[in-house]
Amino acid sequence: MSLFNRAEVIDQNFTRWVESGNLPEAKSEQKLSKNDILKTDYISLFESQVISRHMDFHARKLKDRGECFYTIGSSGHEGNAVFGRIFSHKDMAFLHYRSAPFFLERAKQIPNSTPIYDMALSFMASSEDPISGGRHKVIGSEDLFIPPQTSTIASHLPKAVGTAFAIDRAKDLNLSESKLDNSSIVICSFGDASANHATALSAFNTACWISSQGGHVPIIFICEDNGTGISVPTEEEWIENNFSNRYGLEYLKVDGLDLVDLIVKSKKAEKICRVNRGPVFLHMKTIRLMGHAGSDIEVGYKSLKEIEEDEKNDPLLHSARIMIENNCLTKKEILSLYEQKRKQVGKVFEYATFRPKLKKANEVMSSIISNKHIRSRPNYPSLGKREKVFEKEFNRISIPQHMGKLINYALTDILLQYPNTVVFGEDVAQKGGVYHVTADLYKQFGIRRVFNSPLDETSIIGFGLGLGHNGFVPIPEIQFLAYLHNAEDQLRGEAATLPFFSEGRFTNPMVLRIPGLAYQKGFGGHFHNDNSLTIFRDIPGLILAVPSNGADAAKMLRTSVREAYENGRVVIFIEPIALYMTRDLYTEKDGKWLNVYPDIKEEVAVGEFMTYGNGRSLTIITYGNGLYLSLKAKKAIESKTKKKIKVIDLRWLAPINIPKIIASIGRCNKILIVDECRRTGCHGENIYLKLSQNSNKKLNIKLHASEDSFIPLGESATATLPSEESIINSALDLLSE
Amino acid sequence: MSKKRIVVICPGRGSYTRETSNYLKEYGAPANKSIQWMDDQRETQGLLSLTNLDRQNFKARTHMVGENASSLIYACSFSDFMSIDRTKYEIVSVLGNSMGWYTALVLSGAVSWENGFHLINTMGSMMKDELIGAQMIYPIVDDEWNIDQNMKDLVMSELTNAGAYLSINLGGFIVIGGDKSALKKLSKILPVKDKYPLIIPYHGAFHTPLLESISQSARKLIDPSIFNKPSIPLIDGTGKVWSPYASDPNQIMEYTLGHQVQNTYDFTSSVTVALKEFCPDKVLLLGPGNSLGAPVGQTLIGNNWLSLKSKQEFSNRQLADPFMISMGLRDQRKML
Repeated sequence: MSLFNRAEVIDQNFTRWVESGNLPEAKSEQKLSKNDILKTDYISLFESQVISRHMDFHARKLKDRGECFYTIGSSGHEGNAVFGRIFSHKDMAFLHYRSAPFFLERAKQIPNSTPIYDMALSFMASSEDPISGGRHKVIGSEDLFIPPQTSTIASHLPKAVGTAFAIDRAKDLNLSESKLDNSSIVICSFGDASANHATALSAFNTACWISSQGGHVPIIFICEDNGTGISVPTEEEWIENNFSNRYGLEYLKVDGLDLVDLIVKSKKAEKICRVNRGPVFLHMKTIRLMGHAGSDIEVGYKSLKEIEEDEKNDPLLHSARIMIENNCLTKKEILSLYEQKRKQVGKVFEYATFRPKLKKANEVMSSIISNKHIRSRPNYPSLGKREKVFEKEFNRISIPQHMGKLINYALTDILLQYPNTVVFGEDVAQKGGVYHVTADLYKQFGIRRVFNSPLDETSIIGFGLGLGHNGFVPIPEIQFLAYLHNAEDQLRGEAATLPFFSEGRFTNPMVLRIPGLAYQKGFGGHFHNDNSLTIFRDIPGLILAVPSNGADAAKMLRTSVREAYENGRVVIFIEPIALYMTRDLYTEKDGKWLNVYPDIKEEVAVGEFMTYGNGRSLTIITYGNGLYLSLKAKKAIESKTKKKIKVIDLRWLAPINIPKIIASIGRCNKILIVDECRRTGCHGENIYLKLSQNSNKKLNIKLHASEDSFIPLGESATATLPSEESIINSALDLLSE
Repeated sequence: MSKKRIVVICPGRGSYTRETSNYLKEYGAPANKSIQWMDDQRETQGLLSLTNLDRQNFKARTHMVGENASSLIYACSFSDFMSIDRTKYEIVSVLGNSMGWYTALVLSGAVSWENGFHLINTMGSMMKDELIGAQMIYPIVDDEWNIDQNMKDLVMSELTNAGAYLSINLGGFIVIGGDKSALKKLSKILPVKDKYPLIIPYHGAFHTPLLESISQSARKLIDPSIFNKPSIPLIDGTGKVWSPYASDPNQIMEYTLGHQVQNTYDFTSSVTVALKEFCPDKVLLLGPGNSLGAPVGQTLIGNNWLSLKSKQEFSNRQLADPFMISMGLRDQRKML
């Protein structure tokens, strides 16, 4: 037997040691007969364990033939089959990637399921894979309430917490669109090494934070502790010491090699969680077999003796001992079952290799924006209802007001129209937000729909993702643009990829409001004036809104919520802080930046830009603060040159309708792009490139963006940014060429 | 040479027809002793022997009534099963349609063939005096056997409106069960296509809640101890796989006498699960007849199995290298 092919060794050991009765000793005192469970149930669990093991074996063989594309197996973790049986298939599960036994066993809870075949298609990256359509080996199923996860960096934990929270919140609100049963709980599994991730710690912290305040977060965190993170050992007591005495968290330890102990402790965990509606940490000690993945040579970092010691404790051998000791199966029957499943899995895997694959880019990309559960927006609220909620403020909605106020009005109407929307973030409730944009919403709609979050952006977005899993359309707020960066992966790795990896079976509808950008007259420095939207530039499928005035902001916010509601879209809604309270455009008290609150039915379609003027000498393309400055500049340029120019306010930075912009540019061939964000990686760069590539005539394009600098305090706060003067100068330069 | 892995499918009521007369005479030899025993049992009960029935001229009122049809079909399927060369074929799972479930129980080893005979005879004779409701069959596929979703939606919505039930999902057909007035109403509403909608003579409202009393009677008449673990994986009418080791006989009994009597029999799902979870080399339809040929072919197409997308492609495949072998078809039987 090869030293390097441990799969072969483990396979042969199983047969040899079952035949000889050389089986590992029990590690727990639990007895099968004392626990009211049928022998056939244990056999069923063992069967799932065996099937999963053969899936791992066959995956490795097919990988060698270039037919299988994922070999991070479940060997050593087969105990998680028990979780598939104990927890209802309606308890939404966010799973660790070593969860094939869980999936196989949970699938038995519903008729007409074909878990072996479905996973085989996923392993072979076939377009017929019923969850990801050949885009990833992900364990997922809509019928089994398992959103697909890549789960490599514990990025699924925050949304699992959000989903758990959403169960009881939907019940409290009597939400008709909730998808999860009121009594359900959430299962979330991960490895011991993943428990160190910042995202994981964020999730534990948030669950305990809510729980400690008497809030409900019915979640079972299952840490499948195999003692190794790829090649780095986890200290024996690390997980236990870290989590056994955590405030607000129930801790249970279980032997993952022993089906009996697993059943007893899982039932206990389930009862605590379902009844108390609080977080439970179920620590499953287990082993890892066959290394991290197919390509991993374990002898490079572990001694052969250590490897063999683990192999002697193969969970399948432990289960075989339990089967024999309790007269569930004879040795002969165990070996017969083992061989039958080898053959069955082999046939299914072989067949799956012949199934079609995605070939073309458009096939792959067809699920980036996808939603299999399209719905139509609720009716607009009646005048009477609006009057009641707005109270005396209703008389003021026809008076021109600044953007901050109009966004506030729009949020009021949205919360009224969509019973499944919730607003949350740092300081958004009683305080009404740092800039009072969420003022009065807490009073109008109550703490269940407008609430403060802990100071943790990862949790805020994760919460949004989780709420979306239970029928909500969350409207979270990140207090300042610069604060988003520590939570980026919740958007990039989770929100944006979910429809892609599930072909729209699961989506994360959300409108993420972020006050941001610069020009705050010296206040706040970089962290309150961050002027980079680059983070959103390359994430496929996101909608990025940047309104520049109150009327647009109200209309665009309505569009955003409707898109999230109807089409499951993730919308980033950037609110230029410097324009929140801006009233005047050209002169003091001219009130030209104030707007009347638009009619409740008015929207701005995604991608629809606005033009100011129709001059052909020059076209300025801009957005946000850039529009404000460009409109000022326009007046000066036109007055100075006697030439008419056009200003385009993009309003939406993703998607941008380049052909329509080119049509709007028309016969003009001088283009000035004014971008208030840092030059490198700014959206203006992208527009420059696309206009150059797509225009059928030669355009003279100039990009006037901010310097590649951070924003300082005080009088120099705008020194690195485009100004009215610099825009005029850039325009004059271009006009003189 | 390794054995071919096959899924065995047992037909239900309606499979013994005028065309299958003398089936036992022609193909019953492998189960002669068992058939003789069944004949004796029936004669003791004052019923016509199966051998006699098989050789008589076909009369619907004789051959299609439950107390005769069920046992006759069982005997034909059983003898076909006995003729399978187990040195050439490995049976990886067994399933049936409707009454074929009882046959599948026997063939999988979950019920002995003698107890199976009593089970089938008892269940088949339950409505001897008076049928409860009726069954109607209607196609939901186009000419190339692809599901016409609009038609399916229409049928499902109309059957609910009429107070009828989905009795069997049968590949490209929907079998509707209900009381006679509901089916009469439906037969006037559903668009006429060839001979459809077709009321199936001598059939009750099988697999619908109307048969609750039958389920209750069955529990009194059938000894629960006749149910065992199967020795071959068994797939029921919900698509659940009853595995040889992990099955609880009590749950098999509950399903057999309870659930499947009163709820939809999803034959399409059971075939789908057999294909996907066992990936057989061939699918074998037991006799009599070939009434499940089309529903199985339609289920293959519905799953894009073997990349078959149409009736034409399915027929081509059957001519070149049949994936589905019907023992009720003389030419295909020879291929075994």
